[in-house]
Amino acid sequence: MIEDRELDIWREQWSRVAEPPAEFQRKVQERIKRQERRFVLGNLLTVIAFLGILIFAVFIRHQSSWMGTGWATGICVLVFVSTAYRVWILRGMWRPQTQSTRAFVELWHKRVTARIRLLRISIYVSLGWIIFCAALTAADWTTIGQNVRAHPKDWVELLVACVLMQPVIWYWAAWLRRRKLAELNEVKKILDEMDGKSVP
Amino acid sequence: MNYAYSVTDRSAGLVAIVSEHRQALEKQFARILSEYGAAISRLAFSYEAVAGVREELVQEIALAIWQALAHFRGECSERTFVYRIAHNRGLSHVWRRRPPHQPLEELEESDQPVDPRPHPDEQAARTDQRVRLMSAIQSLPVTHRQMIVLMLEGLSHAEIAEVMGITENNVAVRLNRARKALKDALGVRP
Repeated sequence: MIEDRELDIWREQWSRVAEPPAEFQRKVQERIKRQERRFVLGNLLTVIAFLGILIFAVFIRHQSSWMGTGWATGICVLVFVSTAYRVWILRGMWRPQTQSTRAFVELWHKRVTARIRLLRISIYVSLGWIIFCAALTAADWTTIGQNVRAHPKDWVELLVACVLMQPVIWYWAAWLRRRKLAELNEVKKILDEMDGKSVP
Repeated sequence: MNYAYSVTDRSAGLVAIVSEHRQALEKQFARILSEYGAAISRLAFSYEAVAGVREELVQEIALAIWQALAHFRGECSERTFVYRIAHNRGLSHVWRRRPPHQPLEELEESDQPVDPRPHPDEQAARTDQRVRLMSAIQSLPVTHRQMIVLMLEGLSHAEIAEVMGITENNVAVRLNRARKALKDALGVRP
């Protein structure tokens, strides 16, 4: 048996580094209860909100205009997509934490890359949507033009709201992208450290 | 009537099973906390120097263990399971941590990372080797830090390999490097 005096000294010193905080178990139990209550309440509110939106969708569906049908269908699709997304996110939330550090960091890298890609796609889609709406308006200007002339104030308000919304959305997207890129750099740094590339 | 009785009976049975399962989980969780509580605190120390934030981190680690415990099927040892979660949570914390805005009183109270190498002038003041070791560990790159902490916690090479997701040979190599880095940080001359 080889004696490792240095390691023994370090271990002895390390064992005195920290004790669990006072009333650690009680605080954790309280936090678990709080989190469970929040989870139940959150889901309950989500269900109520979804039901409300669905009732609203059915209500406007009965207004029998083609716009009403479009809105109702859009809302229903949105509700089901968001529900599926929420369930998907909740499904394996605990899992990454239980992986080995290497697997956890690799998964983290994949997730951040996917988020950045999703953000980029969303920006393209929103640009495409604006162009599509503009083209549609131009193509159907004879019908829409009459409506604009009939209710100019409403249309100006809508236009101003749309124009004002754009910088907010762009600023938010740019902020999120910057944050995700910083996160990606951090994860890459950890991965490099793990591969022994940047560790002194 | 019979059908209604059978449904009520079955749901009562289900509730009893769920509640039993929950109680067993709570017992296991309490045991894990009392067994590994000190280790989790020490591990949190390597990721966070500020006392208040560290306490939060310790609680977050415990919470993550609770969330994952229901799905733990013994694919690895309980010890590996706990250390994996603690380290992964610590890594996320390093990223999420904002630049510390500490009040002055807390700065005095907390165990701030200080330059672990003893300067001649301050040598007399910094006699506490424990503080130096801790500060030296906190100054290491994350992966070295993890290796050193696992080694100090007394995990075998096989266990460290399981926690980190690397081979045992790799563990030996990395431990040597991490140990050298720690010695450098402590200012130990070979």
